[in-house]
Amino acid sequence: MNRRSFLSWGTAGMATLGSAMAVSFGAVVRFMTPSVFYEPPQTFKIGKPLDFAYGAPTFLADEKIYVFRDRDKGFSVASAVCTHLGCTVKFFTNDDQFHCPCHGSIFAESGKVVHGPAPRPLNWFEVTLARDGQLLVDKDKIVPASYRLMV
Amino acid sequence: MNLIREIWQSIVRRDPLSTDKGKSELVFLNVWLHIHPAKVKKEHFKFNHTFYLGFITFFLFLVLVTTGIALMCYYRPYPSVAYQDMKDLQFVVFMGPFLRSMHRWAAHAMVICVFLHMCRVFYTGSYKKPRQFNWVVGVILLLLTLGLSFTGYLLPWDQLAFWAITVGTNIGGYAPFVGNYIRELLLGGHTVGQEALIRFYVLHVAVLPSLVILLTIVHFWRIRKDGGLSRPIWKLKPNKPEELVTIGATPQTAPLQAVAASSDKTYGLMEVVTGKPIFETVAPEEEEDAVFSYPFAFFREAIALMATVTVVMATSLFWHAPLEELANPAKTPNPAKAPWYFLGLQELVSHSALIGGVVAPSLMVLALLVIPYFDRNPSRRPSDRKWAIWLFTIFVVINLVLIVIGTFFRGPGWAFVPPWVHVVAGAE
Ligand code: HEM
Ligand code: FES
Repeated sequence: MNRRSFLSWGTAGMATLGSAMAVSFGAVVRFMTPSVFYEPPQTFKIGKPLDFAYGAPTFLADEKIYVFRDRDKGFSVASAVCTHLGCTVKFFTNDDQFHCPCHGSIFAESGKVVHGPAPRPLNWFEVTLARDGQLLVDKDKIVPASYRLMV
Repeated sequence: MNLIREIWQSIVRRDPLSTDKGKSELVFLNVWLHIHPAKVKKEHFKFNHTFYLGFITFFLFLVLVTTGIALMCYYRPYPSVAYQDMKDLQFVVFMGPFLRSMHRWAAHAMVICVFLHMCRVFYTGSYKKPRQFNWVVGVILLLLTLGLSFTGYLLPWDQLAFWAITVGTNIGGYAPFVGNYIRELLLGGHTVGQEALIRFYVLHVAVLPSLVILLTIVHFWRIRKDGGLSRPIWKLKPNKPEELVTIGATPQTAPLQAVAASSDKTYGLMEVVTGKPIFETVAPEEEEDAVFSYPFAFFREAIALMATVTVVMATSLFWHAPLEELANPAKTPNPAKAPWYFLGLQELVSHSALIGGVVAPSLMVLALLVIPYFDRNPSRRPSDRKWAIWLFTIFVVINLVLIVIGTFFRGPGWAFVPPWVHVVAGAE
């Protein structure tokens, strides 16, 4: 084998090996990426409108949402997940604000950040009426804070 | 009788330890001991040079592996089952609380000791040529130690575990571009749940310990190859830093005479390698400082080992590792705090998640990694490196102050509350 063919075969060999390694690495990363999420569905029913009281929002622990019902304006659903680092915020009726226990973020009733470090307001989710008369929340659909469902 | 002797000699081939040959053979015929040189310098084992912190860190790691394997016999990494198993370990399993406490306290101690070890290496200037790379290996070991603590933190599946990991992995999510993806890989999902628990478990009991073992071997091997430990700073000759630069420097003397290789001779490695050794050159009068590793070094290491184990055991007899309520994703405890060594980070994060949680820590790690290449000052004498010492001290103090604030001065809602003020928690 002469020098030239050694070099070209060598280069080809290294390139093959390199790409094989790159592909294997990609495969490993893909293997570690879940294909199925066994997580609670993002769309779920929370009950009949009549189940909810007016005034202070109802906290649904499993879904991590606050359901607001306003006499004039209707229903709206806020996320209870702090936009800072994901702790669960708590609504206090004495100041009508959400307080996050982890790093002290405070959100107004409208979800706006009153006090940092949270970078964004709380999310509001779309809420609609399902055929069976139950409220249907879709966490994949983020809506403006002004969104209301009139029932 | 003869058979017994034959068996003994088939296992132990060395000469009696009363002879010098026996003492050397004890080291180099034994796979575990031969990481040591046959002879060591007494000065390296002076307590106020290393404070034995590297050894202690290593021994704590051994304690962690041993107790960890014991805990694995009862622990099942599945939400709520995991918590039950912790409760069993706490109340049912014979010596369960003791083993669990040993594992917990040794983990805390390892974080402290690895940090102190890094400080001692810095203050004695032991990261300088030719030891730069071993410092880098060390920094990775430090990160792995923190990774082990972090992954282990989730396993009890109590409130503390759940929220510390929720907050911790969300910090990672702030990293630009890849943050959310890495978080998903780590959690196997979008929230801390069963997929996250099994992944953390695999990292904690298999991946990270293996990496620590591999790198520890490299770390120890490099100490030998870098010419043994650095000399204590009080042994450094004043105002002649050049003497130290010779370590690993290009040879000033003429290279050894090349002799044509003869075909009928077998060459040993030392005959093939030419050029100056990287070892620090020792003046003849210092030669007598060298003693056989047996018993001098082994005795001291054994004392360090026994002291480490004793302290961990004694602590675990009197204080038990805490266990909070079962993890409840709906209810965040107030205040929700990360493990204490991450409270500095949490304090930074409470000001800004991106800068405090991603930018600042990355810069810190980067700074640590480049120290040996950035610091061009060849001298190891403290009086010659005031700047370096000041900078590093500031780094250490900032970290400590942040941790102290996060630990003692933060109350419900992360409000600033001095420890002497009593807050009635849960005013709702
Ligand atoms: C799992 C963690 C670690 C273990 C088990 C470990 C173990 C050791 C041991 C046993 C020694 C011998 C001398 C002594 O006891 O101080 C040593 C020396 C050394 N370590 Fe570590 N170490 C760890 C982490 C680190 C870290 C975080 C750094 C620095 C960033 C580091 C840098 C060094 C250097 C440069 C030496 C040589 C010091 C000299 O020559 O004086 N190591 N290590
Ligand atoms: S998670 Fe809410 S303030 Fe940090």
